[in-house]
Amino acid sequence: MGWLFVGPATIHLAVFALIPMLYALVLSLYKFQLFRENPEFTGLRNYSLALTEEPFLNSLWHSFRFAIMSVPLGMALALGIALLVNQKLRGMAIFRTLFYIPAISSGVAISMLWIYVFLPDTGMINMATSLFGISSVDFLNRTEWAMLALVFMSMWVGLGPRMVLFLAGLVNIPTSLYEAAEIDGASNWRQFWNVTLPMLVPTTFFVLVTSTIGAMQIFTPVYMMTKGGPEESTDVVGYHIYNEAWVNFNTGLASAKSFILLAIIVVISIFQFRLMRSQIREFSAS
Amino acid sequence: MGRWWCLLLATAALVSCNSNPQLGRPVLRVSNWGGAGDDSDFDRQVQSLYRQFGEEHGCEVKIEGIPDGYVQKMVLNHIAGTMPDVMVLDASSAAIFINNGVLRDLSPLIAKDPEFKFSDYYPNVLDIGRRNGKTYAIPGDFTPMVMYYNKDIFDRAGIPYPTADWTFEKFFETAKKLTVREKSGKIQQYGFSFSTWMPGWIMWLWNNGGDVLSPDGKRASGVLDSPQNVETVQFLTKMAADTVQVNGQTVANPDQVSPSLSQAAASGVDLFANGQAAMVVNGHWALIGYKNAPKDSHGKPKIDWRRLGVVALPHNTPQSHTVMYEAGFAIPAKAKNLDLAWEYVKFWSSERLQKVYNASGIAVCARKDVSEERAVEPIEKEFIDIIPMARKPYGSWIEGYEFVERAGENALKSILNNGRDVKGALSYAAERIDKEFAKR
Repeated sequence: MGWLFVGPATIHLAVFALIPMLYALVLSLYKFQLFRENPEFTGLRNYSLALTEEPFLNSLWHSFRFAIMSVPLGMALALGIALLVNQKLRGMAIFRTLFYIPAISSGVAISMLWIYVFLPDTGMINMATSLFGISSVDFLNRTEWAMLALVFMSMWVGLGPRMVLFLAGLVNIPTSLYEAAEIDGASNWRQFWNVTLPMLVPTTFFVLVTSTIGAMQIFTPVYMMTKGGPEESTDVVGYHIYNEAWVNFNTGLASAKSFILLAIIVVISIFQFRLMRSQIREFSAS
Repeated sequence: MGRWWCLLLATAALVSCNSNPQLGRPVLRVSNWGGAGDDSDFDRQVQSLYRQFGEEHGCEVKIEGIPDGYVQKMVLNHIAGTMPDVMVLDASSAAIFINNGVLRDLSPLIAKDPEFKFSDYYPNVLDIGRRNGKTYAIPGDFTPMVMYYNKDIFDRAGIPYPTADWTFEKFFETAKKLTVREKSGKIQQYGFSFSTWMPGWIMWLWNNGGDVLSPDGKRASGVLDSPQNVETVQFLTKMAADTVQVNGQTVANPDQVSPSLSQAAASGVDLFANGQAAMVVNGHWALIGYKNAPKDSHGKPKIDWRRLGVVALPHNTPQSHTVMYEAGFAIPAKAKNLDLAWEYVKFWSSERLQKVYNASGIAVCARKDVSEERAVEPIEKEFIDIIPMARKPYGSWIEGYEFVERAGENALKSILNNGRDVKGALSYAAERIDKEFAKR
């Protein structure tokens, strides 16, 4: 009976994830263009090609840069909002819903919307800043701005799920801890620092790991809004691999690049998990 | 138990949708890059043409529209063995299909068919789908890229209309005279509207004696960044720069005749259709938008399409060159209903059908008889005069040419937006293209 329950999910996972991944792993060892009949076995050549290819390494760096900026900022914002909507006030459910809405909207639609937000002169941001006499910036077409614009947008898009996770973490903190802290005369700030934050460590790490993985894989906004430009400054690795596979049709090479990305994400995640374990141990020890 | 039966029946119903629901009439699958129908008069007319073919041949025409990622999806169809019976082939991305055995050589069918005549078509257009005497696609319609100009704006400025023998310099002078500034220096009307979209400016390179790739199509270095091209791109980017550096100071560019990229983005409209630009390079498809131009506060269209002219592109070379973009009909090698597919291709490329279809005005018909009949309209006649100057697009014979077009567009954007040196930007693009080609 147990098999009946896990069966559908397992089959789905196998057919749509595991088997294609294994197949891609095999493809990564071939010089293979999707429509050509005879793939040529080249061993690890695709991997060495990829690791010496400047545009690919640049794209990895761009993704890394994006993650380094968007993950901490996005998490800080989400934690802040979670603390706010955790107040026991009337109508808070409405705010929680509002903040979550971006998460259920289509990534393509959101990107289209943000193109208008970032427009020079007539875009929302430029209209607002022009009130203060700041001259218009073409955010998506400036090398120094485009990546920051994507980071800014991602904070908003990623807010919902992160906020909900933090909220769940906050709700799980026993009120007795705050009561005890209050008796000890701890200020609100002290309570946040010594009770809330330590109690949120597991949640924070979960959000950190999933957000980092998500950030390393960012694709839709780049595809829709910047096409990797200007001057390839937003050519992130997900978009780079997509082009390798579907514009240049270098399927084997694109597969190899995907596995390099996978390896990097695994390494980052392992590192983060190690950090989390040591943090939790430290926390339980104190 | 009853629930399981429902599920089974539903599945069976889904599966049977794939085969033919209508009493064994064969289904002819046709792929194009159109989206969902918009129920316009034209759309209804096209639908009735599909039905007409179905009735005449006892089949059902099933259109599979793929508005985004057409090339990708057709490549996957080929691999998965689910190719349609007829594929509308975009000249700009035809190479991958023609070069890799995806399409059937139609010559044997043509040889057997007394109704089909090559001489019905413009030879250079027909040539797009031909290789070494083999024919992989029958042209449907196409457009050369041309210079549109707004006669009303020219008349207001008292400037004679451009003629086919104009040079870059003459073009620039004209554009400059048509650029109108407010007292503040803000440009009110542009002489030209430039776009960094490479399919829309590659012809300028040819018209100054340059090119994109070496004649064998394998190398960009030394070609894309040639001295002529540097000159051409300097010419183009100078027109669309809002500022220039003079003695280390940033000042307004006195030679600006086209909106800068951020000015164009901020305006959010087609400046030519809006009557704010006197000239623009575009294809025949743009005419649909010009015929439905935005209206002013009195409800009057901002441009009158009958007051538009079309002229060959400016050139410093003895002849003016341009590029053409085309849609043809091809039959995949793995097509299932070969005879029916051929009938369909003939039906769509027939005079009686193309006459109806081309009334939409989206493009120029590849059939001489139909196009020449439509040339009673002056602007259509002007298009026909330009056809002999039109070259096939690189994408029709270079696989993955999209990469080249992106590199070219990126180069222009980096010059215009980030003030990069023209030679450096072109050399960088050429190097990227060569490295990309080397990977294949």
